[in-house]
Amino acid sequence: MNFYDGFIIPFVVGCAVLFTVVLYKYVRWFVRLPAADKRLVRRNFFSMQTLRGIGEVFSECLLHRRIFRVNPLLGYMHMSLAFGWFLLIVVGWIETIAYLGGRLVPIHGHVFFKYFSTSLPHHPVWGIDFSSVMDALLLFVLSGVLLAWFKRLRSRAMGLRRTTKHTLGDRVALSALWFVFPLRLLAESLTSAIFHNGGFLTGAIGDALAAAMPLRTLSTLESSAWWLYSCALGVFFVSMPFSRYMHIFTEVPLIFLRRWGIRSGEKPKSFDHFQLEACSRCGICIDPCQLQRDAGFNNVQSVYFIRDRRYNMLRPEVADNCLMCGRCEQRCPVGLDLNTLRLNSRSRLHDTPSDRRYDYTAGIDRSSGTGKTGYFAGCMTLLSPKILRAMERIFNASGEEVWWADREGGVCCGRPLKLAGETNAATRMMRYNEELFRRHGITTLVTSCPICLRVFREDYRLEGIEVLHHSEYILRLAKAGRLQIEPGEELFTYHDPCELGRGCGIYEEPRELIRCAGKLVEPAETREEALCCGSSVANTALNDLGQQRIARSVGASLGETGADAIVTACPLCKKAIARGTDRPVYDLAEVVERHLA
Amino acid sequence: MSKKVIIVGGGVAGMQAALSLKGQGIDSVIVEKSDRLGGKLCDWHKLFPTFTPASEVLGPLKEAVERAGVEVRTGAEAERIAPDSVLLKSGERLSADAVVVCSGFDLFDARIKEEYGYGIYDNVYTTADIERMMNEGAVALPGGHAPRRIAFLHCVGSRDEKVGQRHCSRVCCITGVKQAMEMKTLFPQCEVYNFYMDIRMFGPGYEELYRQAQEEYNIHFVRGRISEASPTFDGRLQIKAEDTLVGRPLKMSVDMLVLIIGMRAGESNGRFAQCPGVGCASNGFLAPADLFSGSVLSPVEGVFYAGTVTAPKNVGESMSEGAYAALRVAEYLGARS
Amino acid sequence: MIQWGYTINQPRAVNLDRNDLTAARRIIRQMPELQACIACGSCTATCTAGNLTQFNFRKVHTLVRRGEYEGAYEEMNKCMLCGKCRLVCPRGINTRGVVMLIKRELGEY
Repeated sequence: MNFYDGFIIPFVVGCAVLFTVVLYKYVRWFVRLPAADKRLVRRNFFSMQTLRGIGEVFSECLLHRRIFRVNPLLGYMHMSLAFGWFLLIVVGWIETIAYLGGRLVPIHGHVFFKYFSTSLPHHPVWGIDFSSVMDALLLFVLSGVLLAWFKRLRSRAMGLRRTTKHTLGDRVALSALWFVFPLRLLAESLTSAIFHNGGFLTGAIGDALAAAMPLRTLSTLESSAWWLYSCALGVFFVSMPFSRYMHIFTEVPLIFLRRWGIRSGEKPKSFDHFQLEACSRCGICIDPCQLQRDAGFNNVQSVYFIRDRRYNMLRPEVADNCLMCGRCEQRCPVGLDLNTLRLNSRSRLHDTPSDRRYDYTAGIDRSSGTGKTGYFAGCMTLLSPKILRAMERIFNASGEEVWWADREGGVCCGRPLKLAGETNAATRMMRYNEELFRRHGITTLVTSCPICLRVFREDYRLEGIEVLHHSEYILRLAKAGRLQIEPGEELFTYHDPCELGRGCGIYEEPRELIRCAGKLVEPAETREEALCCGSSVANTALNDLGQQRIARSVGASLGETGADAIVTACPLCKKAIARGTDRPVYDLAEVVERHLA
Repeated sequence: MSKKVIIVGGGVAGMQAALSLKGQGIDSVIVEKSDRLGGKLCDWHKLFPTFTPASEVLGPLKEAVERAGVEVRTGAEAERIAPDSVLLKSGERLSADAVVVCSGFDLFDARIKEEYGYGIYDNVYTTADIERMMNEGAVALPGGHAPRRIAFLHCVGSRDEKVGQRHCSRVCCITGVKQAMEMKTLFPQCEVYNFYMDIRMFGPGYEELYRQAQEEYNIHFVRGRISEASPTFDGRLQIKAEDTLVGRPLKMSVDMLVLIIGMRAGESNGRFAQCPGVGCASNGFLAPADLFSGSVLSPVEGVFYAGTVTAPKNVGESMSEGAYAALRVAEYLGARS
Repeated sequence: MIQWGYTINQPRAVNLDRNDLTAARRIIRQMPELQACIACGSCTATCTAGNLTQFNFRKVHTLVRRGEYEGAYEEMNKCMLCGKCRLVCPRGINTRGVVMLIKRELGEY
């Protein structure tokens, strides 16, 4: 049997380019992995994680389980394209084996089997009617293509208010992909019109075509159709490694590397490439972004940030314009560490040598009081004296002796600087505060600022010191009976600060405390889905008007609950939300203070 | 049949408008939400720049209104306005041939600027508190002591994006100077500091008063806005500012911090703006037809404005507007009959 | 000790005829709101770094806008980027953005 015809050339060339480029990229990224990451691979390669990775590859790369959770129709679209195409390839190979046994068949022989197998008898093998099975799979994929076309017109129906704006390369690849399957249907139907070897779909279309035109026209059209089909495949394969479709392959190594424990860090490294190129630019991150829906920015969302970084055209205006609230990360179907990637991009843009920075902090100690429990107000709390006073009364009411770290002014925790990308310099501030905490021998460190809390927990070396947010600390006092909170009738709603909720996973403690003091009603978007106040220190690009717009939108959303007052647990959120609502905004500590027995 | 005009608000602008209308033979009804005429001036002690007691302005005005037999409905708050009627909160609708809105302004709530500690620390006051205490004849610290050092802070709730108050409230600069001098008179041993961003002395005699405060009263003017106040261990307040003319941060302890609060657009403006054609400017004050010859006209025929409902103004300006509005109302009614 | 400017130790005029304002114009073009500064000094009063050292944010950015770039980068490096200044600014200036912008534009000075 002959497996050669002129039209296979575009396909074969496309395949060769695709596999060469992909292989080159993987080898390069893999070789450049830091030694520590390579050690992780060696240590965890033979472990349960690898098996779990295989399961994840199946459920995410093929079935797209996480996209189903965003929207079932969108999930179906991705699944039919990925899983359908995968099955077409696998069943195609089985088909060739069924017909030809163990004979070596070149790769294009499998893909264009319908064209080359016209001389074979057309009947089921192993009791399977392969033509119809392949037709059914083709129909499955075509339904996905139809949905993709539909999504361009009516994305809202598929759960996306806004879709990604694509680059030229993406458009070429996308167009080629859209044509691949309709052309396959056409080519196979035309072959079937001449040789009557089609299944229920290609056969039926083939018969209709055969009835409509003479044999000569059919064979001219057949040859053109196979050429077009092969060209579409070739174009798609060549553009694939340079476009969004690189994600098809890259998500697989990403899943395994992640399973083996490799993570992106505050400095860029080779593993980031796997994350960047595993982004399919599906655009699911666009809708949750408040910079898009409230402040009118349409080019800074994670999908665009990753695209810009991948093609080396990242500008500070894009890298810096992000609240790092984590709402997109929460939704990302590929599970990319979008905030960490953003952070290490900033570090590459802004980090400067900092050998002598903040030397002026040496020897400064403005702390006061003595006690095993330390309280770090944080810069923002110093501008919210109601929180400070509430904390003081709570400490007094519970009889706690407190060491006040920074009431008379201290050194910033370092997280704002780190979030801006100046990781080296931030470390110097962290070391100062660590040393301060140790010198005063505290065993518990309480802070009312979630920004400080997060950096204390993630970046400080505070062995032997328990770090608590004031919500955790006050609840603990209440449970131990050291604090009596009298219930009231007021109806509160609670705003989850990003750094406290998505950042530190603290959702329950503040709610439990609020329920001690009054009634609680949840806003529409809450907990993991909570909105950002808009004044996040992570964004150094957003202007005042943008912050106000977001605050008004958050204020409106919290106001819709009908609550008498808004409660939050972050001094910055409190200030920000107060600008966007007429209702009173309290910190959790103030609410507790007002209900102290 | 005589025409009837409804005047919303019985402050100085509203009373003057009623009087001027009466002078032209037009009857009016003053609808006042509180239980007395006079508006915010009732709570004021003395007026800048002459230290004229507020009662000397208010008393004769009230008497004249009474003498003229103007109908006054106190305890009646307007809910909605229209060129031909005013709907009261009680649900009653008063019909009219013209409406003059003189509903004034609201004082900025200093608690919003949490960092200054108003409502948190006992020794933080607003200019309104000082006037009240002077009316009560008892200016003193919570313990009854005389203050040794007082800081006045200008522009609280004025020219501040962070509280949605972009505009300059105009009269607070001179109020701050006036009160600083009054405090110095009450407590001659006391040091008085005024912290300002800009000093805007727009009226007759204001600049002279400012200079008098500096030269004769030895009041210190520091160019810098206080960023925050915090309590000290001995119950005083520590304030932080930058002395911008020196270019260095400044800290000082004071016994009393007085926040010179600005004028906020009246909360009723939003409701009134629901009348088709009536609208608020971006700062929330009602927008007049134009800022020149139409300064007392709304864009809607039959609805007129006077006083601080359109922008921050002093007492004299508000009264002049009341009289001018009355003139334009008379012209309007004359043209219609 | 009297603190003149920051690294300037002899008194001299800000000479707008001789100063090269190219970088200043570039900075203002990228952040026009900086021109809205009315020099109230709130930022410097509340400044965490300014509380511990001779850092004066308002003065540094004002000098930069006048074309006096010397030492500005080093001075801005004293900033901890904590964000208190942004909270108190009555003109709503993105002060943290200003610090980053000046450092980016004047890195070579």
